[in-house]
Amino acid sequence: MPEETILTDDFLRELMNVGEVDILIGVPTFNDAKTVPQVVQAIRGGLLKYFPRQRAVIINADGGSKDSTQDLVRAASISDAAQATHIQALRTLHSISTRYEGGPAHGRALYTILAGADLLHPAACAIIAPDSVNIQPEWIDRLLGPVVRDSFDFVSPMYRRHKYDGLLVRNLIYPMNRALYGKKIREPYPTEFAFSTRFGSYFFGQDIWSEDVGSKGTELFFTISALSGGFRVAQTFLGDKDRIDHAPADLIPAMRETVGTLFWSLDRNFPAWTADKPPEAVPTLGPQPQVSQDTLRVNRKRLYDMFVHGVAELEPVLGSILTPATLEQLKATAALPEPRFRYPDDVWTRSVYEFAASYHKAVISRDHIIQALAPLYRGKTYTFLAENRDAGAEEVEQNVENLCLEFEREKPYLLELWDGKK
Amino acid sequence: MTTGAGVLTSPSSSLISVQDALWYKDAIIYQVHVKAFCDSSGDGMGDFRGLGQKLGYLQELGVNAVWLMPFFPSPLRDDGYDIADYRSVHPTYGTLDDFKSFLQTAHERGIRVIIEMVLNHTSDQHPWFQESRSSRTNPKRDWYVWSDTDTRYRGTRIIFLDTELSNWSWDPVSKQYYWHRFFSHQPDLNYDNPDVREMMWENMRFWLEMGVDGFRLDAVPYLLEREGTNCENLPETHAIIKDYRARLDREFPGRMILAEANQWPADLRPYLSPDEFHMAFHFPLMPRMFMGLKLEDRKPITEIMQQTPSIPDACQWCLFLRNHDELTLEMVTDMERDYMYDEYARDRGMRLNLGIRRRLAPLLDNDRRKIELMNGMLMSLPGTPIIYYGDEIGMGDNVNLGDRNGVRTPMQWDGGWNGGFSPADPESLYSPLMLNPVYGYQSVNVKSQERFDHSLLSWMKGIIKVRKSTPVFGRGSIEFLYPANHRVLAYMRQYGKETILAVNNLSSSAQAVELDLKRHKGNILIEMSGRNIFPRIGDLPYLLTLGPYQFFWFRLRKI
Amino acid sequence: MWDRFVFELTQATQEIIRDVAQLLPRLMVMLLIVLIGWLVAYIVKSILRSILKFARFERLSENAGASQFLRRTELPSSTELIARVVFWIAWIGFILLGISVLGIVGLQQHVSNFFGYLPRFFAALFVLFFGMLAASFFSRAALLGAVNADLPSPRLISSTVRTLIVVLTISMAFEELGLAERTVIVAFAIVFGSLMLGLALAFGLGGRDLARQFLERRFARYKTTEEREDELSPL
Repeated sequence: MPEETILTDDFLRELMNVGEVDILIGVPTFNDAKTVPQVVQAIRGGLLKYFPRQRAVIINADGGSKDSTQDLVRAASISDAAQATHIQALRTLHSISTRYEGGPAHGRALYTILAGADLLHPAACAIIAPDSVNIQPEWIDRLLGPVVRDSFDFVSPMYRRHKYDGLLVRNLIYPMNRALYGKKIREPYPTEFAFSTRFGSYFFGQDIWSEDVGSKGTELFFTISALSGGFRVAQTFLGDKDRIDHAPADLIPAMRETVGTLFWSLDRNFPAWTADKPPEAVPTLGPQPQVSQDTLRVNRKRLYDMFVHGVAELEPVLGSILTPATLEQLKATAALPEPRFRYPDDVWTRSVYEFAASYHKAVISRDHIIQALAPLYRGKTYTFLAENRDAGAEEVEQNVENLCLEFEREKPYLLELWDGKK
Repeated sequence: MTTGAGVLTSPSSSLISVQDALWYKDAIIYQVHVKAFCDSSGDGMGDFRGLGQKLGYLQELGVNAVWLMPFFPSPLRDDGYDIADYRSVHPTYGTLDDFKSFLQTAHERGIRVIIEMVLNHTSDQHPWFQESRSSRTNPKRDWYVWSDTDTRYRGTRIIFLDTELSNWSWDPVSKQYYWHRFFSHQPDLNYDNPDVREMMWENMRFWLEMGVDGFRLDAVPYLLEREGTNCENLPETHAIIKDYRARLDREFPGRMILAEANQWPADLRPYLSPDEFHMAFHFPLMPRMFMGLKLEDRKPITEIMQQTPSIPDACQWCLFLRNHDELTLEMVTDMERDYMYDEYARDRGMRLNLGIRRRLAPLLDNDRRKIELMNGMLMSLPGTPIIYYGDEIGMGDNVNLGDRNGVRTPMQWDGGWNGGFSPADPESLYSPLMLNPVYGYQSVNVKSQERFDHSLLSWMKGIIKVRKSTPVFGRGSIEFLYPANHRVLAYMRQYGKETILAVNNLSSSAQAVELDLKRHKGNILIEMSGRNIFPRIGDLPYLLTLGPYQFFWFRLRKI
Repeated sequence: MWDRFVFELTQATQEIIRDVAQLLPRLMVMLLIVLIGWLVAYIVKSILRSILKFARFERLSENAGASQFLRRTELPSSTELIARVVFWIAWIGFILLGISVLGIVGLQQHVSNFFGYLPRFFAALFVLFFGMLAASFFSRAALLGAVNADLPSPRLISSTVRTLIVVLTISMAFEELGLAERTVIVAFAIVFGSLMLGLALAFGLGGRDLARQFLERRFARYKTTEEREDELSPL
């Protein structure tokens, strides 16, 4: 993607006026006027408190907001031209905003921010989600500190989440990623994270920006690149992950972004995930991720129904994707009545790996493969909900851990499928 | 006849005319210590005859006023600010006649003379204090501030934090405490006593009659004390000043008084008025100039200027980069002070009281570009600039000399015997010379710098000449531009029909800046040193590129 | 009279021999051309087969569902099939060329017709093939979409889509071949139109509620007061 189309003249001028910085914070937005002021205030507070002497800039990449998002971000600047700032600050803090084409797409926003970083060459960068209403100024230190002080290349967040939140990540992305790359990154698809310029430039220089992964699911690929590229990775605990107002992503687009990206990256990173490395712990700062237990409304029956119907109706499609053995097991599972229904970890793991292998071989359209996984995922979700309904935080953690170990155990199976017959 | 710059051109007996009452607005002041400048007698300390011999040098430099540090008889425990006799000259500096002769020569060369008048306190060796302490019933008892306890005026801050623990000291002779805002050997005079006030005026008049052009009144805010206050800037203090000023205007029009008051601009403002001081030092600006340079961000400078109140037309700020004292960090926040300490005075030995005791060149890492930039800002920001002796050649400092003596080493005239300062034995000099290869007198001296056009001294002469070529710098208004590039400090100076644009790059790397000069559309920019033409201002923002630490002064002309 | 007979016979024989003599070289040329044609066709077939194998045509054909179809009808794989078809066409082309050399007048016209017809034949095959591909793809997409949107009878929807596309494809192929164009077009229009009408009636009348629910679910995210089924967010 030619850079000229990303850097408009105005944005370039603003970057010129900002000049070289030590810290760059990127905020991708789209119609976030309700939450962005508070987020930007927290960012600013964090910078003033923890990095008061560093030159910093906040860059907002906006996907075409119709509300006052961009102006609200710009208002966070600290400068001598802006009258009536009662803030004690040694330095000017620039807060600039630009609109990117083809939005809203997180990958395009990230690309714009990385382009800015490429020109301003900061020592450390962070991306902060514009709707993290639980953000505290400390988050800035927790994310950037490891990069600035301990030369880490990538810092991934950890949160305190509801035990039913992020199930796709917990049941598929996290375990599979961990099994393949040998690192226990809890949030492989983060909305806020920090990285060094070294890694940022490397990622910016990849030729993925004209592919799908360049617009959606980019952050997952970012994590995978860090893991497979031999960069120094750390995790840091931030706080509560809010759950509001997000339209819960439709499952299919979510799966495209995550599972699609994950499977797609397997081809690209073949040497990295096939290397026979034992799983490594990732340096973790702060407490372990926690799980909260507030009551949540779930419609479990619907999940079960969709699983059963899915397996039945999609049998011809699944037949092209799964091995006959697994398909049989799946059908057997679908035949169980609801009270006894359980989608066991090992069957799930094998299903996922077979899907990955089929994706690699493109036995049918790759997008269809992803879509076909959805009913199976629903079944797994049902099982997760059932197993953890009365579980406390530790038990949930243990169940997730067991699933991860299953994925690790079955990794050779994936390798077998990869080269061999379907 | 006078020109706007207050320097006469006709070679009459005295180049000074009293008719230009605002001469101080066009002045360029050279701060010098008699003891440190030139020794003619061979006793190891500078004197007035020596100083008189060097007036030609000062005239060539381009300065038109000289501020002499205290030369009165004194035990010299505070470098002369502890005065023992207000109407005489310390014998090592010469006689009163020597001074008169110096004064006359200075005037002949068009250089005005400003001397110190320490109002607030005397030396404890002064006959007044000797009398006052001798007994509680002495007539001069009330000339100083005595107390049975040391708890009065509680809460008043201590100024010399590194040496004094209290503002009260016990006098074993008369068995009472006496008040001193500074060193314990500098007891404060009691200005509630009308005799004290009259006597001090007479002291000033003594020198005014001799022809002295102005006084720097030391430590003005502390003249009076009142319970329940911080004993600074009290209304009664202002009343005393008003009285003195009224007398000054009546009897000696055209003379000037300069306030030394290390206060926030808002507190300083009352001193600057047609019925009080003509000039005052702008203390808070100076550390912020250094801060802005280190941060590579103009914000500290513009913000203090935004907080600086406007002053009457007849009044003037006095600007300086360094002086005989430490670079004071009293008027900055804790965060800013920590930053300045970490960046400019990592070695704790450099820190004194609440400041940093270093000369200009060492503070700026002897970087010629930074030295030029800082001097450029000094000469173009609104106010009268003061050059500290030796900074025009880039002299260094010796932090191993105690207190603030590191910045008061002998002037370096040439690379020969004692650096040309004195014919005496080197061991008998009042202070060791600078000897290291970088700042020593053999590398840094007037004689070698006079020979080359590219030396710092030659450059200083040039910039002073440009400054004096127009009254805009001394008398004009200031309007800051706020270009988006925060590393560039840009402002317009205007006086009458003349407009000047100053653009300063505070960063160590080249910068591009776009200036909004729409209001001056159609003007051609003429760079003031080389007098070359720069493009005309059009509709678009005016793009300038500056090298590291570079600055431009442009005159705007519409032809 | 016997002399005349002998003379005529001799002349006729001589003529025949002359004709044959004239024909023989051409016949030899024709045989040569046929032989060369066979060689060329064989080479082309081999090359084509290699190309198709390299381009993994087989997989495309699998996606199209063509492979399954061929298997069911005991035909060889699509790569092989295409290679063979091309072989035969190439060879027949050369044969016809050879025949035209013989100079038999009526035949030449047919030969050129044959060659004229060839592009359309290929076009029809092309349309058919990609039509099958599309049918397979879209029917699968419909199936997946319907399953994931929890619609009733996803298979029915899927088959309907497949049928529609196949019918459309066949119509286009026939049109391309120029066989019973108008009939086919009209027939297609009738079938397609009535199907659509039927669906519209079904949805409009019988499936009003269903349609409403379907639409609401599709556009649920634009409604802020809508109660969602549950509050799970997968990310």
